[in-house]
Amino acid sequence: MTTNDPQGSAIRSSRTPVAIAAFFVVVIILMTIALFNAPTMGGPRVMATASTYLAEVRRTALPFLGAVALLSIVLGLVAARTIYREWPHPRRRHNLIMGYLFLSPYLLITLTFTVGVVLFAFYISFNNYDIFTPPEWTGLDNYAKAFRGFTNPAEKDFLQSLHNVLWYSLIVVPTQTALAILLAVLLNARIRFKQLFRTIFYAPSVTSSVVITLIFMWFYLKTGYINFFIAKSLGIFGLSWENINWLGDPRGLIQLIVEAFGGRIPSAQWYLRGPSIAWMAIMFQNIFTTAPTFMIMFLAALQDINPTLYEAASIDGANAWQQFRKITLPLLRPIILLVVVLGTIGTLQVFDQVYLATSGGPLGTSLTPVYIVFREALGILGPINMGYASALAFILALLIFFFTFLQRRFIERGTELY
Amino acid sequence: MAVNTQTLKRATTQEPPKPASRYVGTFFRYLILSAIGLVLFTPFILAMLGTFKTDAEIIAFPPKLFPHNWLVKNWARVWNTDLGNGGTFPRWLFNTAFLSVTVAVLEVIFCSMAAYAFARMEFPGRDAVFNFMLATMMIPAAVTLIPAYVLMTKLHLINTFWSLILPGAVNAGGIFLLTQFFKSIPKDLEEAAFIDGASHSEIYREVILPLARPALLTVFILQFQAMWNNFLQPLLYLNTADKYVLNVALSIFQQQFKAQWNLTLVGAMFNAIPIMILFFIFSKYYIEGVAYTGIKG
Repeated sequence: MTTNDPQGSAIRSSRTPVAIAAFFVVVIILMTIALFNAPTMGGPRVMATASTYLAEVRRTALPFLGAVALLSIVLGLVAARTIYREWPHPRRRHNLIMGYLFLSPYLLITLTFTVGVVLFAFYISFNNYDIFTPPEWTGLDNYAKAFRGFTNPAEKDFLQSLHNVLWYSLIVVPTQTALAILLAVLLNARIRFKQLFRTIFYAPSVTSSVVITLIFMWFYLKTGYINFFIAKSLGIFGLSWENINWLGDPRGLIQLIVEAFGGRIPSAQWYLRGPSIAWMAIMFQNIFTTAPTFMIMFLAALQDINPTLYEAASIDGANAWQQFRKITLPLLRPIILLVVVLGTIGTLQVFDQVYLATSGGPLGTSLTPVYIVFREALGILGPINMGYASALAFILALLIFFFTFLQRRFIERGTELY
Repeated sequence: MAVNTQTLKRATTQEPPKPASRYVGTFFRYLILSAIGLVLFTPFILAMLGTFKTDAEIIAFPPKLFPHNWLVKNWARVWNTDLGNGGTFPRWLFNTAFLSVTVAVLEVIFCSMAAYAFARMEFPGRDAVFNFMLATMMIPAAVTLIPAYVLMTKLHLINTFWSLILPGAVNAGGIFLLTQFFKSIPKDLEEAAFIDGASHSEIYREVILPLARPALLTVFILQFQAMWNNFLQPLLYLNTADKYVLNVALSIFQQQFKAQWNLTLVGAMFNAIPIMILFFIFSKYYIEGVAYTGIKG
């Protein structure tokens, strides 16, 4: 490094002011983002001008800003120290400046619309908040309220939504993963028109869930194709079929089985009834559109498997099924893990289908956490309750983290056996 | 995996004479694949036929496959709907296309910049920021939904397209995909350029971007599709009829038309056909992108 020449020492002496400037730039940017995300009441009166907003921030959001300020001072110090260290070396200085310039659009947007927003949501989840009045600290009340359904059946909505999405994941994820593997293995043959088949298989999955849901809502009508198809199929065996309104039928799977044997499950024990017919109809539709997406991922993985493995196995006399069990499946494990995790994350957050097709009904058997979050945040059924909605969102996030972690442990340990 | 052994035998040994049973097997394989393709396409075929049916036919039981009279004017009827407030079909089509293109273009630019920094530059904090990005990918959309809505009201962005463009302009999944791709590009070219005195921005623009065109196209298409198919955010942020996107308009249609499923289905087709055409043109990039990352709208 040429730190001995006069120009170098000039840069050396300039590093202190530059480091101080970097500190302030970082702190000011972070505090601005925090200011936008400060938990104050909204509404036209507060939002009219910058000064009315700042007055409101001063009144209600100082603890929040204080906490963020501590964080941004720490980050500012780290930035200042880095600048101080890198500044004398021209090459490294250049890299540092260019690196953060290239990252700046990403960092600014993510800090504002993801990090800032999550901090705000976390704060709000401990408050009673409806946008139009200042947030009011209630501690863990919102979190407790989510689980109050255990003691008070009138507040069972969130518990029921958890129950619903757990059934949903339990049925949809394994089915769609197995179907996706099956489709991929079928397509991985040496056939002509492979690309064409792949394209045709995947095409329905590129359309929006709104389109698919509307088409299936029409299929599921009492006079729709699903009833027609079942009636026709049963008719071949001389059986009759009474048309049902699929998306409006609250009878549960376990309930139907028990009733077939003459038993009864009262509505107070809704959690024993299993997924309702309406809910299973939505599951079917979801499997139908998601399996081809995951098929593409499996197909890519299958094409990476070294063919000499199968060669060796067939010389040793392994049949097709043994080869699938002992070669294909173990080598697909990482992709299976990915598909199962992505599938679980997706199924725990079902929304579009519920909003369009059932609005959570019948009897709450298709309620999902995201739908309740949406409902509470917009106040569709009662007052706006942003704090409660945020608390529910965080509980859901925890659940998603937990399942991701569990699946990773579970499936990775399985891999070690091979 | 009979499939693979066959492939293998054919590849490793001299082509053996094929027994007749092999042809039967091949025939059945094509039959099964065609049947699956047909089943997967059934909803679209039935919906397409449904768009030409009369109001009575569409909910008649038993349903008939083909319409009695082909009612082409259903399409015109939907195209000419007016929800008032400037809410017309061409308008929604334009809104959706405009938003999808804008978001996808911005995302390609910003994601490729960030990916270049992650893949090709050395500076303190790079790995920390990269790990931070991976962590943000874990945050479920449900958590940011409500506070983002509050932020949008504070920034006066509700019912403007900015509410969808700004947060949509970067995407951790896209950055991740491009970072992996940039890392796979050999470094020889840019080292030569460095010796010639090229700067980072020149190398980014003139070496990396041209070489990464397929990956950029993949990100563009995946993001275009994600925005085109996005429902929850537009539903929350856009609330006058002239600002709707197709998905939101469709959900309103369905509530308005109720039993007139033929009209709702026309709307659904208007939504589905453009994205399907796009998919058939670019299916290679599409499929590579999905296979690579599993991100999809």
